[in-house]
Amino acid sequence: MVSNEQVLSALRAVQDPDLHKDVVTLGFVKDLVVRDGKVSLRLELTTPACPVKDELKAQAERVVRALPGVTGVEVSLSASVKAPRPAGAILPGVKNVVAVASGKGGVGKSTVAANIALALADDGATVGLLDADIYGPSMPTMFGTRARPQPAGEKSIHPVYAQGLKLMSIGFLVDPDTPMVWRGPMVHGALSQFLEQVEWGQLDYLIVDMPPGTGDAQLTLTQRAPLAGAVIVTTPQEVSLVDARKGLKMFEQVKVPLLGIVENMAYFACDGCGKEHDLFRRGGGRRTAEALGVPFLGEVPIEAEVVLAGDEGVPIVRRAPQSLAAQALRHVAREVARQLAMRAAAATEAPPLASMAWKA
Amino acid sequence: MRLPEGARPVSLGQDGPDVLTVAWSHGHAGRHRVRDLRLACRCAQCVDEWTNQPRLSPDTVPLDVRPVRIEPVGLYGLSIEWSDGHSTGIYTFETLADLCQCDSCLPAGARP
Repeated sequence: MVSNEQVLSALRAVQDPDLHKDVVTLGFVKDLVVRDGKVSLRLELTTPACPVKDELKAQAERVVRALPGVTGVEVSLSASVKAPRPAGAILPGVKNVVAVASGKGGVGKSTVAANIALALADDGATVGLLDADIYGPSMPTMFGTRARPQPAGEKSIHPVYAQGLKLMSIGFLVDPDTPMVWRGPMVHGALSQFLEQVEWGQLDYLIVDMPPGTGDAQLTLTQRAPLAGAVIVTTPQEVSLVDARKGLKMFEQVKVPLLGIVENMAYFACDGCGKEHDLFRRGGGRRTAEALGVPFLGEVPIEAEVVLAGDEGVPIVRRAPQSLAAQALRHVAREVARQLAMRAAAATEAPPLASMAWKA
Repeated sequence: MRLPEGARPVSLGQDGPDVLTVAWSHGHAGRHRVRDLRLACRCAQCVDEWTNQPRLSPDTVPLDVRPVRIEPVGLYGLSIEWSDGHSTGIYTFETLADLCQCDSCLPAGARP
């Protein structure tokens, strides 16, 4: 007869490639039942967007099936997302706040942020998306909704629910044709309210679409939001990369971990012949990531459908999941989840500093 | 003190009426006379942004100036609201470490 111990000892051969430990040591093995040679168990991973989850499952099935006396194996997957540090006072229910930033505008940052959020939700995570671009909100268009956030009690509001995400954007609160002629302090106030007075609830990931550049809004977010990390979006051109480096340096200064760089508009894949045309010297993002010693999260091709999808209110990972761009964005989302999981596993951080009142 | 990579304060405390204690993640036990911290403020009201010339005259800071409240700023610093009404400074962890007045950072005699 096969025993639980034999199964566990076999499973010790299954290594998580990122955490460099086996699934038993990591505590991933749950609900192990061995009955009459039939084995069932659940692997609880640290993110539902784990890029290697299918391999882990297949490996677990293989090593257990190889045990003498085993006649059947059933491995299911689940996930429990970890936070990099214990919760503080701001966004206490959110495990990972991720800033998606770029040094300059026009690199497709909002498109990347929206698709990362949707891809993570498609993998089974609970996800929110905060449009922090006060001067140029794009989420209402990208998600095709002009819903008004509903009040939640006296001092807070509910986010807008759309396509399985919790969304918040200044675009839901003001007329879309009204320009936001606001000075820095008002931007600061609005963003602080988005962090503290929106009922985000329990989220695995809150993706923050940052405004371009390194100004007031970025400072507010890095000062107020407990960021788990930042993703920099760039295009391959030199000028964009110079800006991306500035963005990286900004996050370094404020001690926000850099999860990596995404190269957007990396190449154009011809819809007729499939040939990949490198319009802007492809590979710049990868080279910058290597030069700065941060992970390269992936390259996303230019496809007309990406823009169309955004304009029509159904982002590409939903509208055309099999397109090259959607596959690339899904890959990026899983890499982001993977970087966060690796950091959370290594984290031994204490909770954020508590504020202190001085005693006279 | 030179700050090791990733080091940060894990808790703040008070030792008597005018000494702030900072427990660092790498084990360092930092100490600061609070008025010295107030005088070292590097905000734009206290140090000219363009010339780096000091704008704060120490005579104008009460000898018994105290923090009212100390708040974390993001993952990189502290802000202090002072009894003289000043509150715009941010002390990054590096700055705070540079200003440390504990036994191992300062010669005897200068210690708080």
